Amino acid sequence: MSDPLNIPSRKEVLSDYQSSGQDFVAVYPIHYHRALLRAHDLMPVELWGPSQYSTTSADAHLQAYTCSVVRCGLSFALDGGLEKARAIIVPHSCDSLQGLGSVFLDFIQPKTPVLTLYVPRGRREMDVEFFARELMALDKSLAKITGKRPSEKMLHSFIDNEQKADSAMEAVLNNRIRIPMSNRQFYELMRTRQYVAAEKFEKLARDTLESMQQDNRTDCSHKLVISGLVPEPAELLSVMDDAGLTVVWDDTACIGRRIYPETDDADPYVRMARSILGAPPDSALGSSVEARLAHLLDLTRNKQAQGVVFWSVKFCEPELFYLPQLSRGLELAGIRTLLLEVDISEPASAQVQTRLEAFAESLT
Amino acid sequence: MSLRDSLMYHLNVSLLGHGALRIQRIKAQMTMNRQGWWHHEHLNPPPVTSAWLKELISRHYLKGRWITGTQKVAWVTSGAPIEFLKALGYYLIYPENHGAVCGIRRVGDEKCKVAEHAGWSRDICSYARTDIGTILSGKTPVGKLPKPDLLVCCTNICQTVLYWYQVLAQQFKVPLILIDTPFLYSKAPEHALDFVEKQIQYAIETAEKVAGVSMEPKRLRHVTELSHDAVDLWNRIMHTGRARPAPFLAFDEFIHMAPIVEMRGDQATVDYYRALLAELEARIKNGTGALKEEKKRVLWDNLPIWFVVRKFGNLLASRGVALVASTYTNAWGELADLIDPHHPIESMAKCYIHPILNRGTGQKLQTMKTMIEDYEVDGVLLHSDRSCKPYSIGQMDQQSILLKQLGIPALLLEADHNDSRVLSWEQSENRLQAFFEVLGV
Ligand code: SF4
Ligand code: SF4
Repeated sequence: MSDPLNIPSRKEVLSDYQSSGQDFVAVYPIHYHRALLRAHDLMPVELWGPSQYSTTSADAHLQAYTCSVVRCGLSFALDGGLEKARAIIVPHSCDSLQGLGSVFLDFIQPKTPVLTLYVPRGRREMDVEFFARELMALDKSLAKITGKRPSEKMLHSFIDNEQKADSAMEAVLNNRIRIPMSNRQFYELMRTRQYVAAEKFEKLARDTLESMQQDNRTDCSHKLVISGLVPEPAELLSVMDDAGLTVVWDDTACIGRRIYPETDDADPYVRMARSILGAPPDSALGSSVEARLAHLLDLTRNKQAQGVVFWSVKFCEPELFYLPQLSRGLELAGIRTLLLEVDISEPASAQVQTRLEAFAESLT
Repeated sequence: MSLRDSLMYHLNVSLLGHGALRIQRIKAQMTMNRQGWWHHEHLNPPPVTSAWLKELISRHYLKGRWITGTQKVAWVTSGAPIEFLKALGYYLIYPENHGAVCGIRRVGDEKCKVAEHAGWSRDICSYARTDIGTILSGKTPVGKLPKPDLLVCCTNICQTVLYWYQVLAQQFKVPLILIDTPFLYSKAPEHALDFVEKQIQYAIETAEKVAGVSMEPKRLRHVTELSHDAVDLWNRIMHTGRARPAPFLAFDEFIHMAPIVEMRGDQATVDYYRALLAELEARIKNGTGALKEEKKRVLWDNLPIWFVVRKFGNLLASRGVALVASTYTNAWGELADLIDPHHPIESMAKCYIHPILNRGTGQKLQTMKTMIEDYEVDGVLLHSDRSCKPYSIGQMDQQSILLKQLGIPALLLEADHNDSRVLSWEQSENRLQAFFEVLGV
């Protein structure tokens, strides 16, 4: 399977931003609203790692039992990786990111301004109200950096763009079985959403849909859903390819759980808040086990997946708590499950690869 | 409430249980008042009031054994606002406190293993594993834990509790009230305070529905007053550690904090703390310290290592090192001034968003600095608790600032509050010996 799309890498996109004088903001996981940054003429570039990055620099600040997403992310910042960013945003997604935000602000105090965003854990109307005010506060902090005051109209227009990009992403996922791409290529495409503009992603997604086959691919022997945080290290996607496993839906926090629903509130902050809090069930949004299980059961049924792979980061409590009850519920419904636990600062271990291969065989 | 349940409750708890526990306490106090009953090379006898504490805790758990069918039961996180639940007549269980009991009785590992066997990772908080293991095994050193009718989770200590309580909600199929307290990187913004207040209002409505009763404002005010008084007394008890020699150590606080966590809002807690304070003040007057000889004074950061509290205490005592304060126990006293019985809900919002674990790591360092001065501390022991990321992340910077900027000896000890498999005692002992040398003892 070739790469007909010429998927831009993160490095290429960042160097484009720098050569064209486009300002960008480094954003740690998970939820925030891209439109708010775009309205300030800032391009969001997300930092899920970087994967297989040495954690040495972070070792002076974080204990070894902090997850590798946070340790790699801090090391990268300490090594100067974020110096060119106009700001660093640390959404409050878990205890470890809370710690990272606080260590940045209280002790490291980098030259680049660090902004935080508290994402509420409920989906009640009061959560939406609070989050709208939190986004408004972030807007004010950004204004201090950029000197811009985006109008409501401008915000709405950027929200529209993001919604289009999200629905294009959903369409690509829905048609995955007809898209002649390996898992690895497919994820490269999906993950561009983390660093390219919504308009650019939408185009990439539409081009992908145009190039897809009329019929379902015949080379997918086993269909799976991936759940977890972030599909790193990416070599494991190639292991899946080799084992004849095709990912037919993504339920990771970096992709599938951030396909936000369309909203139409007149107030742009409320509109952004409602959209994020309307995301699919997610541990970082405090979803119940019941909601997450129902969602996974729906996905596996609709996509006729035989298995779910929980791709978890070691020490990631938000995910680890849910796994036993989710696995049990899925197994009871005849869906096979596999837990892969990875340290994203390291390459995938041979043991993890073997487990994945054994899992593929068990689906036969 | 069924007649049978009610009869069994009154027979076993009000009549037999209370009577037997009171007799036990009186006997223990008589022994403690006798000359020559205490033999310890380095420690003076504990306060006589300790016997009362045992009675209080035993009564609490005894009640829990027979409570089903007589009173609604809520399981709550340790930092949650509970005044409204008390005012609505709920009986409260704190899984974290129960976890500590399991830790002290050294059955924490056993419970953790049950949870791990059922699929929960060793990398999740050991309190949660202890609790899940208790539920799955049905075994607890306190006899029996009543099933909850309601779960109340407040995120002011960590986000972990929310995932943990989602597991409980799935297990027990009961409503879960979430009180989400936005983390404070700096000053509390107005919209965060409003948000917490609204959630408390909403929590009251939900708790009323589950209990089938309406809130009486007078009762809420009364419980809040009791809560305020207990927190204030607890604060004063901790402050006795400022005296030289300190009559009460953080090791004692770890044990005597149980009522402030799980019986806040009860008259019995106020009475008990008042008596304890009086006894400690008398000790200060007599110049009686907790240690027979106090040479150096140390501050503790983070949760206790429950399964070696006593061993640890003895080791420090043998070198004349008094653990005079801890940021952990301090957390239950430092917000006393924010509780206002005349404005219970607004003040609850303000109070419960501000605990140490809901504020930045720089704030925690500031608290340490203040305590170092107030308690005239010579060194700091920071427990790097593998299970508790919100408390532990930031400690490496805190330690280096204490050492480099303040010149205070500070030791980071790797352990876990409830999972003994994480602690290497020999290694820790060696490191502590080196720390003692730096302190000059
Ligand atoms: S991997 Fe888990 S623990 Fe780490 S930052 Fe992401 S959500 Fe937090
Ligand atoms: S993570 Fe820490 S604060 Fe949270 S329940 Fe565990 S010990 Fe308590």
